[in-house]
Amino acid sequence: MSDTPVIHGNTKQQRYESLVAALYQDVFRYTYWLCKSKPLAEDLVQETFLRAWRSLESLQSDKAAKAWLFTILRRENARLYERYRPELVDIEGQAIAENDENEPDNRMDRELLHNAINRLESEYREPLLLQVIGGFSGKEIAEILDLNNNTVMTRLFRARSKLKQELKLDGTDLDE
Amino acid sequence: MDELEFRTRVYANPTDVDKDLLEAAQAEPRLQTILDDARAFEADLQHQLQNIEIPAALANTLLDLPERAESSAPVASKLASTSFFQYYAMAASLVLAVGIAAVLTLNGGPSATETAFGADLIMHMYHEINEIDAITAGTDTSTIAMPAVAQVMAEAETQFNDEEFLRAMPVRFAKPCVIIPTYQSAHLMVQGSHGAVNVIVINNSPVNSEYSIQDDRFDGVVVPMNEGNLILIGEKDENLDEYKALFEDRVEWTI
Repeated sequence: MSDTPVIHGNTKQQRYESLVAALYQDVFRYTYWLCKSKPLAEDLVQETFLRAWRSLESLQSDKAAKAWLFTILRRENARLYERYRPELVDIEGQAIAENDENEPDNRMDRELLHNAINRLESEYREPLLLQVIGGFSGKEIAEILDLNNNTVMTRLFRARSKLKQELKLDGTDLDE
Repeated sequence: MDELEFRTRVYANPTDVDKDLLEAAQAEPRLQTILDDARAFEADLQHQLQNIEIPAALANTLLDLPERAESSAPVASKLASTSFFQYYAMAASLVLAVGIAAVLTLNGGPSATETAFGADLIMHMYHEINEIDAITAGTDTSTIAMPAVAQVMAEAETQFNDEEFLRAMPVRFAKPCVIIPTYQSAHLMVQGSHGAVNVIVINNSPVNSEYSIQDDRFDGVVVPMNEGNLILIGEKDENLDEYKALFEDRVEWTI
């Protein structure tokens, strides 16, 4: 569950370190899929944690730390794209881990799925990333994205339907 | 339960389906196939989304951030070194007449970024010059109500932690302004001893250290404050230290 406290310790430094340890990997993964650039993702993650450090005292509930951090990240990403739109090269597959030893059976081509996720419109990709990478519930995603819960669940359904359709795994009519 | 409803609910969250969905799947092989396929697809999706190589040095970099932030050393960020620098370097090349003098710096003077930021701030004074002139001339003696001031502050993601001190210092002007692209700032004018004193709170990247700005008419000071900057600009001879002491500890960020 995403409401499990991830912050521990009495001092600000200890609390920050536990926040980093618990979340930096998920935050980086989410950021990478959000901005589709590994160098940009690194910068955004640094900006996010720096802002989190400076605002840590304002965090009212440790249980809310994860949603709080993802909200900061989304805001940083929005700021970045408002002031600076980098020319992104096509980096499809660039940040995918090389170690495939533990990969499950290839039910589908990894590259096709990767590209399909990248092509997904942000209104569908963002809730999907928050659910799968962040582990957030529909209600939590609704709060982070400032949407109502029904809209979030509809977008999650459509996100998966679109992916399956693009991969020709499903014949669901999205207009239904 | 029909197939569309079943598929909609399963696709929305394949890993956490309700009991009634499971029962429906057990009762109807077609629905069970949909559920099995959805779960298989979800495994692939999770694997794909999670299978991102994490930069080896990232954790240590993040753990070092507080020390670097607290020591006032610039935090290495490619965002700052590319987008901000390019913008400010361009602004600096356009505004040559503004004099900037370092009051206190660790590295001998404001950076090019800070210099250009100062230039933008001075330029903004002339954007609002009619209001400044009206306050300085005493023709605008209106007072902005506190809720309106708070609203302007809120739009810049900031607030006063104590509004009492403002009661003895009429706020003549309060407006959300965009002084540099995309950064909403709160621009207040209070009645000073020598005219309007501009108080600007902006949630952009903090400057490295406090520095003064000036031109033929105005004197100002840029004060870094955690998440952003506090800027005070008044007519020559205005005692800005007095206003700095009043505002510096009473402004806080809301995120």
